[in-house]
Amino acid sequence: MVSGMIAPPPGAPRAGEPSARVADADLIERSLVDPEAFAVLFDRYAAMLYRYVSRRLGPEGAEDIVGETFLAAFSGRERYDLARRDARPWLFGIVTKLVARHHRSEAARYRALRRSPVDGPEEGPADRVAAGVTVTAARPLLAEALAGLPRRDRDVLLLVAWGDLRYEEVATALGIPVGTVRSRLNRARRKVRAVLGDTDPMREEA
Amino acid sequence: MDDLDLLRGLGRDLEHEPPGSLARQRARLLEAAHGRTRAPCGPVRRPRGPVRWPRRPGRWTLFGAVAAVTAALILVPAVLLGGGGVKPPVIPSSNPFAARTGPLNVLVVGSDRRAATASDGAEEARSDTLLLVHLPADRKSAHAVSFPRDLLVQIPSCQGRDGKPVPSRRGQINAAYSLGGHSCARKTIEALTGVRVDTTVVVEFAGFRTMVDALGGVPITLPTPVDDQATGLRLPAGRHLVQGTQALAYVRLRHGIGDGSDLSRVERQQRFMASMLRRAKETRLRNPARFARFLSAAAGSVATYPRLDVAALKALADSMGGTDPGAVRFGTVPVVPAPDDPARVVWDREKAMDLFTQLREGG
Repeated sequence: MVSGMIAPPPGAPRAGEPSARVADADLIERSLVDPEAFAVLFDRYAAMLYRYVSRRLGPEGAEDIVGETFLAAFSGRERYDLARRDARPWLFGIVTKLVARHHRSEAARYRALRRSPVDGPEEGPADRVAAGVTVTAARPLLAEALAGLPRRDRDVLLLVAWGDLRYEEVATALGIPVGTVRSRLNRARRKVRAVLGDTDPMREEA
Repeated sequence: MDDLDLLRGLGRDLEHEPPGSLARQRARLLEAAHGRTRAPCGPVRRPRGPVRWPRRPGRWTLFGAVAAVTAALILVPAVLLGGGGVKPPVIPSSNPFAARTGPLNVLVVGSDRRAATASDGAEEARSDTLLLVHLPADRKSAHAVSFPRDLLVQIPSCQGRDGKPVPSRRGQINAAYSLGGHSCARKTIEALTGVRVDTTVVVEFAGFRTMVDALGGVPITLPTPVDDQATGLRLPAGRHLVQGTQALAYVRLRHGIGDGSDLSRVERQQRFMASMLRRAKETRLRNPARFARFLSAAAGSVATYPRLDVAALKALADSMGGTDPGAVRFGTVPVVPAPDDPARVVWDREKAMDLFTQLREGG
């Protein structure tokens, strides 16, 4: 008996067909006449953005911020530059603006991390354990460094380190030149290294 | 292990997996997509009429802006000057339009190259905007419905631009104008909607700039400064009287204004239209000489079919004297993805018929 004609639910990730995937920009263009097409972008990126926001602000407000991000993206979709095939930088740009509204609680979160245990998952995959030792030792220092960074520098640093964006993508996300991305990233990393104990004066002034 | 690796490790530790309740946010998005959510913020609120128009416009190109400005209020009177100079109408008209007081449906074709006024001779003209404007009998408002240019429709048999017959075919709605000019566009719209088109107006792109200049500029308000490389527009925040070139840049602007939650480009265009309409109305009352220049500029950018005579258009213009620019409503034909080609759209028959029935029968 043949029963294989049931389609997966719309938007469900389907393994093995990445090449058949419609570009984000095409989805956005389609959403101009068929607004529901925008939901496919949600299915693609909501989880990723949730994880990112949960890192910066914790899980409490992350859900709302992800929801607001997509609403803002939806209402601004006519402005989207369709030459940008990948919508991630655009979405991260919106997320960054929304996270910025909570910069005080973000800084407080990092400050709290200087003293308290990590409030994340209690156990991770085995391959994390080795690195975990160093990270655990460095965590209070890293948190202190993050708490002390100016917001703009922190945005750039975390879009690179936690958002996995390339420099050009960070530039797109924040609407700033790539050179500015580099200089903010360098400045932020210098401060992080300084807190970690790397006080090489050459680097300091580089 | 460098500082970035350490940071990545910290990030993984801090990360939380999305909960199942994240689906609520997806539902929120879909609600917005269906237009059931609150209207976008901003002082411009279109009044709700008896007709339920789609709340969120779907696709408004620059031509949409030009065409709507044109059709909704301004160019209809503007056309009364034809291609010539400013002449006061003196001869009473025998044209049925002159006495017409009922509802009026105007098809506006925004073309990137205007068909020659006399002979309809431009061969490469494409219609980038198709807009059906309905003026109810009381002329207190105007309703504009845009047709997405990739809407798949049955194009009826038409006379081609070369004079030869073109058989009926299925195609994108904007192909009708390319194939058979304004008459084919009109025939296609009439066949699709069942709405009788009284007048077809073909608008030229470049005329927009000229019209703004002729009005002496149009006021806009910028919430934030604009410095846009793509269009070359640089303005501080605040209120400005923009001239033609700046106005064109402003309505085309895609980047550098506000953030993701601010007014969309479409809303900006519609605001601009409303501002332009207001300006035109003021000018008409306060500066007749300037208004005449404006009309003349506008008239050079449009052609009407059938050709309306001066008295008919003057009468129409007068009848629209009481129309409030804020009472112009905009909408888009409801569409769904085409079953055989998801990259294109077909109309949502039921919802669309609802809309057009109101155009056919509405006062």
